[in-house]
Parts: sequence; C-alpha cells; structure tokens
Amino acid sequence: MAIVVNLDVMMAKRKMSLNELSEKVGLTLANLSILKTGKAKAIRFSTLEAICKVLDCQPGDILEFINEKKNDTKN
Amino acid sequence: MSRKTDFFLKTLYVIAWIIFVGLCIDAGGLIVNTYVTLFINPEASARFWGGMKLLPLYKFNQSHYVTFVSLLIIVAILKSILFYLILNLFHKNKLNLSSPFNKTLGKHIFFLSYLAFGIGLFSGWGNNFSNWLRGISNGSISESIQYLNFEGADVWIFMGVILIIFALIFKKGIEIQSENEFTV
Repeated sequence: MAIVVNLDVMMAKRKMSLNELSEKVGLTLANLSILKTGKAKAIRFSTLEAICKVLDCQPGDILEFINEKKNDTKN
Repeated sequence: MSRKTDFFLKTLYVIAWIIFVGLCIDAGGLIVNTYVTLFINPEASARFWGGMKLLPLYKFNQSHYVTFVSLLIIVAILKSILFYLILNLFHKNKLNLSSPFNKTLGKHIFFLSYLAFGIGLFSGWGNNFSNWLRGISNGSISESIQYLNFEGADVWIFMGVILIIFALIFKKGIEIQSENEFTV
C-alpha cells in the first residue's frame, strides 16, 4: 500500500514498548500490532489523536505516503 | 443466536436431510433402473422404480432413451449435490451467525448458484427434448414421459440468478467486514 505506517520508528524514538503504548492509548495489543505491521486498512481519527498525544508527534510522523509508481519507474 | 432462529435453523436442517435422502433415493433409483434396462433385462425394469415407465421409450429408440435418462440422472444428481452442500453448511458450522460474512460461505453460495443454474439448464434441455420426443413419436410414448417431464426449469434458473445476486452482495459484505476488522 502507498501509505506506510512508521509507528515502530516513532516508538523507537520515544523508547516506548508496544505494551506501554497499548496501555496508554487504550488499544489492544492485537490492534496495535495490525497497525504496526501495516495490515490495517483504515485508522480512526480518535486512534490517531490518541497515538499522537502519547508519542508527542504529528500524524505525518506516523503516516507517510510513498508513490509506488514513481519508485517503480526509477528502478 | 435467538431461540427462534435456532429453532428455525434446526427445522430447516431436518427438512434438508429429508429432501436430501429423497433426492439420493431418486438419483440412485434412476441409475439402477437405467443399468438394469440397458444391461440386464429391460422388461424387469418396468416394475423396478415406482411408476417409472420408460420401457416404451426404450423400445421406441435406445439412443433417445439413453439421452433422456442421462438428463434425468444429471438433474437428480445435481439436486442431490445442492442439498448435500446445504447440509454441509449446517454440519461443518460454516454458518456462523455472529460473523456470517466469511470467504468460505461466500464461495459456498456461489457454488450453490452455479448448481441451481446447472439444474435449470439441464431441466430446460430435458423439457425441450421430451417435447420433441412427444412430437416425433406421434404420441406413442407421451404417456410414459408425461409425468417425468422436467418441470420448473425457469424456476431453477430464476433461483440461480437470485443466488448469484445474493452471492455478489455477500462478497461486498465480506469486503466491508474485513475492512471493519482491520480498522484500528
């Protein structure tokens, strides 16, 4: 998918574990794992808000758009 | 699951079993009758399967008899498979009402629709064939195949179309459910 979730990068920057984030955000470990591994198909604004609040970052720090077509033609 | 739904499903399960057994007997009877007629004793087969009087057709033309009986057997087998699949739905717990939109059930409904279509097409073919037979035999065999005519071909095709539409809606439901499951 063209949207990449950089949750693990932000977690590493804040030195926060998945368990800790899960407790602070109020999401289940399973759901956070879905988000972290990029399997998620959608994310609620409320979830994004909670994650940004806990990790003290912007939504753009967690989500990134990568133009796959452009990358393909470059390669 | 509410008690009413549970009762309804159990009743449907029993009815489906009864119909399945009936259809298996029907298909089996037809196959045995055809085997006896073709390879053992055509005269004896007249007393075999209740009310099955295909002997005049056999005497009239053997190849027409084989075609006619083949169509009857194909329709009977397809109907049995259809009800086997319906029973399978109950047996292997594919019908999970708490999360009904799963891929297995979607494939199952598609397969049921193709079967209903198949039954409709073969019944229609059989119906036309029996009408044609009546025409060429000048009524000499009309009595024997009259009660065996393939009724309800249009109904089966209609059911097939409805099931395909239902399966397509179901497919969309599966997509929505999986999207919902992967929304964090």
